Amino acid sequence: MVESILQTLSYAPIQRALAACILCGASCALLSVFVVLMKMPLIGVSMSHAAFAGAVLGMLLDINPFVSGFILCLLTAAVLGPLSDRADMAPENLLGILFSFLMGVAFLGMGILTQTKAGALNLMWGSLLTLSNNDLYVLALVTLVLTVFIVLFFKEIRVVLFSRRLAASSGVPERVIYYILLFMTGAVVSSNLATVGGLLIFALLVQPGAVALQLTYNLKSFFLISAATGILACFLGLVASYVFDIPSGASVVLAATVLFALAFVFSPKRRVVRPIERKIHDENDRR
Amino acid sequence: MTDHYLTLKQVSVRRHQSLLLSGIDLRVSKNEFVGVIGPNGAGKTTLLNVIAGFEKFSGALSLFGEAQTWRRPRQTRLRVGYVPQLLQIDPGFPILARQAVMTGAVGRLGLFRKPGKQEHEDALRLMDMMRVAHLADRPLGQLSGGERQKVSLARAIVQKPDLLLLDEPTANLDIAVQKEVLKLIDEISEREALTILFVTHDFNMLPERMRRAVMLKGGLKVFDGKISAALTGNELSRVFEYPLETFERNGKRFICYG
Repeated sequence: MVESILQTLSYAPIQRALAACILCGASCALLSVFVVLMKMPLIGVSMSHAAFAGAVLGMLLDINPFVSGFILCLLTAAVLGPLSDRADMAPENLLGILFSFLMGVAFLGMGILTQTKAGALNLMWGSLLTLSNNDLYVLALVTLVLTVFIVLFFKEIRVVLFSRRLAASSGVPERVIYYILLFMTGAVVSSNLATVGGLLIFALLVQPGAVALQLTYNLKSFFLISAATGILACFLGLVASYVFDIPSGASVVLAATVLFALAFVFSPKRRVVRPIERKIHDENDRR
Repeated sequence: MTDHYLTLKQVSVRRHQSLLLSGIDLRVSKNEFVGVIGPNGAGKTTLLNVIAGFEKFSGALSLFGEAQTWRRPRQTRLRVGYVPQLLQIDPGFPILARQAVMTGAVGRLGLFRKPGKQEHEDALRLMDMMRVAHLADRPLGQLSGGERQKVSLARAIVQKPDLLLLDEPTANLDIAVQKEVLKLIDEISEREALTILFVTHDFNMLPERMRRAVMLKGGLKVFDGKISAALTGNELSRVFEYPLETFERNGKRFICYG
């Protein structure tokens, strides 16, 4: 039994898949903290569809799908940023339009793609077991940059997550932080097209953050719990995919959902504090 | 060139087809405590947003003697504290009350500098002054509206601003808490050398140290003078378009509406 596990681990594709689990889980999950706390899941959806549409167009035009996906993500971010800054229109409607437009572009691209559709389908739900070394290097770089960004600007990030308006009013460069965030979203999403794909990535952009939201009031723990959840979901998904021979993207998403359900059920934060307990608590605090 | 802290000349704000503020002239000197009073839709919050740098406008505005647009250099932003009407936050949001207070110091600290002992002491001292020191380690989202408003005041002062903008800081609070928050605002004005603009539609709930009133109606400035001259039945009835009367008891003036 141990021998067979060791033997499995010695295959290069399996090693790459494990590395991808960690990188994909961590990068998406770190980003999901922003998606959940800034309540911008629609931005996540739009970005992932932009990456997907960009990659399909890349296949049509014979460009590296990661590069074309990333370019379309950056364009989307450049449109989204100023739009969400405008106070006089609801961004949800515009995001809806943008999202469906990008979806249309992607399917149009797939329709006129003359070569085999398998490559395009892989961009949709990814494949942890068929990654190249280059896929991994790009993903590692993106994850590293995102982590450094979070560590270096942690105190500014906390203010921006808390309130963009208060951040602006107290001299924090919130606009710069927000735009870096949008571009990072583009980079994470497009570099993960190969791992979980443009459609299923959305689960990893929301669920790990949602798990952390059930479990902690501490922002540092929030990032760590979220990253751990993302990595665990990817790992469990990969194992299930290998053992039961099912598509890895789907099993990763299902694993993430199971983790969320567990966190939701056992959340200490959802335990209702009755007013009387709270009063006693306050009085103890005052002493 | 001038000892006016804040000067507005012919400031207007247009959004879509409507004029939210129309040709406002205003001069505020250092250490003045000014009330901006008016009914809903008068343009009070818009005026505050223009001064805070959240809103594009036409006309001229100068802060601390320097001309400003709605985009401000960091140094100017640091000198303007802002307290929103209500600190909106989800109950589960991962931030403790003391961390929320500390967010006020982040801009002043600048990038790559961590808050030190001094900042932590400042934050706790101000939370103590606002009577919320015992809530320091509680998640902000679990505090009541009044408690959150006091945290929000402490947050604004930790920034060490010269000009403090308060946007209806007592709205949506029950009456005892409103009075308490007003007293705290008086205390802030007494202890810290601050110029304060206080926006409200509630003429019965004004801090005692407020000496001057600017009244707005339909985007126009319709009164600018002593608070005692503003709080008369005639003036208020005109601004609020509702019959109001004042009467005095124990040296205090009350306004009643039928």
